[in-house]
Amino acid sequence: MVVVRLMNVTKVFRTGVVGVKDINLTVNHKEFMALLGPSGSGKSTTLYLIAGIYRPSSGKIFFDDRDVTNLPPKDRNIGLVFQNWALYPHMRVYDNIAFPLRIKKLPENEIRKKVLETAKMLRIEKLLNRYPWQLSGGQQQRVAIARALVKEPDVLLLDEPLSNLDAQLRISVRAELKRLQKKLGITTIYVTHDQAEALAMADRIAVINNGRIIQIGTPEQVYTKPATVFVGGFLGNPPMNFIEGEIVEEKGKLYIVIAGQKIFAPAHYEPIIRRGGWRKVVVGFRPEDTMILPECRDRNECVKGRVYAVEPMGREYIVVADLGGELVKAIVPRTLVLTDDQEICLCPSLEKIVLFDPKTEKSLEVLAAEKE
Amino acid sequence: MSAGLRDIELRSRKTEILIVVTVLVFSIPLILGYSLLILSSFSKEMVTNLNPRDFIPTLRNWILFFEGRTAVFGGIRVNIWHIVLNTLIVALGVSFLVTLVGSMTGYAVSRLRFSGRKKFMALLMLLHAFPGSVMVVGIYFLYLMFLPSYQMVRLYSFFFVIVARASLEIPMATWLMKGFFDMIPWEVEWAALVDGASRLRVWRKIILPMVKPGVAAVMLFGFLAGWMDIIYVRTFLVDQTLATWIESNINAEYSYLPLVAAAGTFYLLPTIIFFLLAQRLIFTISATGVKG
Ligand SMILES: Nc1ncnc2c1ncn2[C@@H]1O[C@H](COP(=O)(O)OP(=O)(O)OP(=O)(O)O)[C@@H](O)[C@H]1O
Ligand SMILES: [Mg+2]
Repeated sequence: MVVVRLMNVTKVFRTGVVGVKDINLTVNHKEFMALLGPSGSGKSTTLYLIAGIYRPSSGKIFFDDRDVTNLPPKDRNIGLVFQNWALYPHMRVYDNIAFPLRIKKLPENEIRKKVLETAKMLRIEKLLNRYPWQLSGGQQQRVAIARALVKEPDVLLLDEPLSNLDAQLRISVRAELKRLQKKLGITTIYVTHDQAEALAMADRIAVINNGRIIQIGTPEQVYTKPATVFVGGFLGNPPMNFIEGEIVEEKGKLYIVIAGQKIFAPAHYEPIIRRGGWRKVVVGFRPEDTMILPECRDRNECVKGRVYAVEPMGREYIVVADLGGELVKAIVPRTLVLTDDQEICLCPSLEKIVLFDPKTEKSLEVLAAEKE
Repeated sequence: MSAGLRDIELRSRKTEILIVVTVLVFSIPLILGYSLLILSSFSKEMVTNLNPRDFIPTLRNWILFFEGRTAVFGGIRVNIWHIVLNTLIVALGVSFLVTLVGSMTGYAVSRLRFSGRKKFMALLMLLHAFPGSVMVVGIYFLYLMFLPSYQMVRLYSFFFVIVARASLEIPMATWLMKGFFDMIPWEVEWAALVDGASRLRVWRKIILPMVKPGVAAVMLFGFLAGWMDIIYVRTFLVDQTLATWIESNINAEYSYLPLVAAAGTFYLLPTIIFFLLAQRLIFTISATGVKG
C-alpha cells in the first residue's frame, strides 16, 4: 500500500562530507528495488534517510502522499535490517523478535503467536532460546529479518544483509528472500554492492555512485543499456569491454574505426550520431555478446586481434584478447581451441553495442534524450 | 549467562604454573597482613609478632566491639550501630551520586560530538590525578563561598561529605562508563528507535542492560570510596564513621589493640565481599562480548 518517493534529497554531514546529492527515486507498491553501488557511494545514507535516522539537508521524502521528511523513525512503520544486523545482545532470539511488538503493547499471547509465525517462516524456530552470540552469521541475519518483518512494516529496508555470508549460503538465501518478498508484498529497498545479487533479486535497480543516482531501470535495461561507462563497468562478470573508436563516413554509410579497423556503426545509432555530429566515441560491448572466429572474412562486422590469455571457467572459457594494445574479454564455448598469441577475429554483436561520449562518459542515447 | 570464561587456549601448562606462583609470591605480604589482623581479632593478645603462643582464642573483642566499648575496662561507650549507619549513609550516598552522574556524563562523552569534547576528557583525567587531601581546603572554601554561614555546612554535613567525596570519584567513573558505552554500536540504538521505542525506553531497555557490568563496577567503587574515606568525613561530618572511629582509637592511650583489630576486620568486610563479587563481574564482562 505504500509508495516511497524521494524528491531532490541531499544529505550533507556535519563534517562537510556529502553523503548523497539530489536523489530522486520512486519505489512502487510491492516493488523490490535494489540500490546498487560501490563502497562509500551513499547506499546506507539513502536507507537511513528513508528510515528517518538521518534527516535530509534538503529535499522531501513521501510515503504515499504523506510527507514523512520530519517524522521520527518510530512513526514511519518501517522494518530495517542493518548492515551488521544490530541484534540486541542481551536478549534471547525470542525477545529480540518480540521487542517491536512489546513496544506496541500487544497482549503477550498475540506476541507469542506472531513471533512463532515469523520464526517459522524464516526457519529459526529452534533458535528462539539462544542469545545472538550463540548463532552463526546466517542465523543472526535471519533473526534480524524476522525482527524487521514481525511488525508487518509498510516498507522493508535491507542494508547489505547477505554481505557477511559465504558465497554458497548467499545464493540460496537470495532466492528465499526474493520469494518471501513477493509472498508478503512489502515495498522493499535492498542495498547491495553485489551486482549479481541486484540482477538476481530486484524488480528494478537504482545504480548509485559518489552519492548520485546514475540510472534506474529493470535489471534488463540497466544491464543492456547502461547509461554511463560506470554502470556498464559495474554490472556484469566480467564487465562490459570499453574501447575508443572514431566515427567515419564513407559513401553515405557510417563506420566506427576500432584499433585501425572499420566496423559498421550500429543501425539504431545512425540518427543519433548524425544529429549529434559525434566523431570520437567509446565503444562498449559485453563479453557474452562477442563472438570469436578463427579468422576474419571481410564483413565489416569484426576486428582482428590476438589471444592474450584463456581463462577456463568451467562452463565456458573467457578469452582475453589484445585489440591494438587494449585488452578486451569475450566468453566462448569450451569447444573452441585457442592458443596464446594466436590471431583471432572478434565480432561484437552490432545491435548490442553501446556508444558513449568519451568526455562525459554518458551513453549517446542518454545525451540525445537530455537535449530534447 | 553461563558461557564461562573464554580465552585463547594457547598458553602452555608450564607458563600458567609460573604465572600463578609469581602472583602468589607477590601477594604473600598482603595475605599475611590481613590474616594476622583477622587472627588478632579473635585473640587476647596481638599475634603480629608471629609468635604462636600469643594466640589465645576468645570472642571477647567482638563482643566488646558490638557493645561499642573502646577499652576493656571503663572507657567511653559509643553506639556502634549509629556509626555503622553513618558510614552506610556516606558510602551509599557517594555510590548513588557517582553512578548517576558518571553514567550520564559517560554517555554524553561517548555519544555526543560536542566541541571541546577531547579537552573535557583530558581535564577529567587531570582531575583524577589530584589526591583528595590536596583539595579538601579548597572545597571547604568553596562551600563557604556559596553558603551564608559556617552553620549551614554543619547542619547538612552528610550532604557536603557526599558531594565532595563523589566529585573526586566522578572523573574515573565517567571514563569507565564511556568505555562501556563506546562498545555499543550506534546501529543497536537505531534499531530500537526504528522498532518504535522512545529515547527513554531505548536507554532503559537497550543501553542500560548492555552497560550493567559497568554500572555495577562504578557503584562498587563509589561505595568503597565513601566507606573508606577519612579526610572528608573528618573535615565536614559532625558525626563519626567507622573509618574515623577506628583511626581515633588506634592512637588513644586507653586503646586495646585486639579490640581495634576486631573493628578493623569488620571494617574490611565490604571490601572483601565486593572483591569476590567484582571477580564474578569481570568474568561476566569478558564472557558476554558482542559478536558480529
Ligand atoms: N555519520 C557520518 N558522518 C560523516 N560522513 C559520513 C557519515 N556516514 C557516512 N558518511 C560518508 O558518506 C559517504 C557515504 O557513506 P555510506 O555509508 O552511505 O556508504 P555505503 O554506500 O553504504 O558504503 P558501504 O557499501 O561501504 O556500506 C561516505 O563517503 C562516508 O564516508
Ligand atoms: Mg553501507
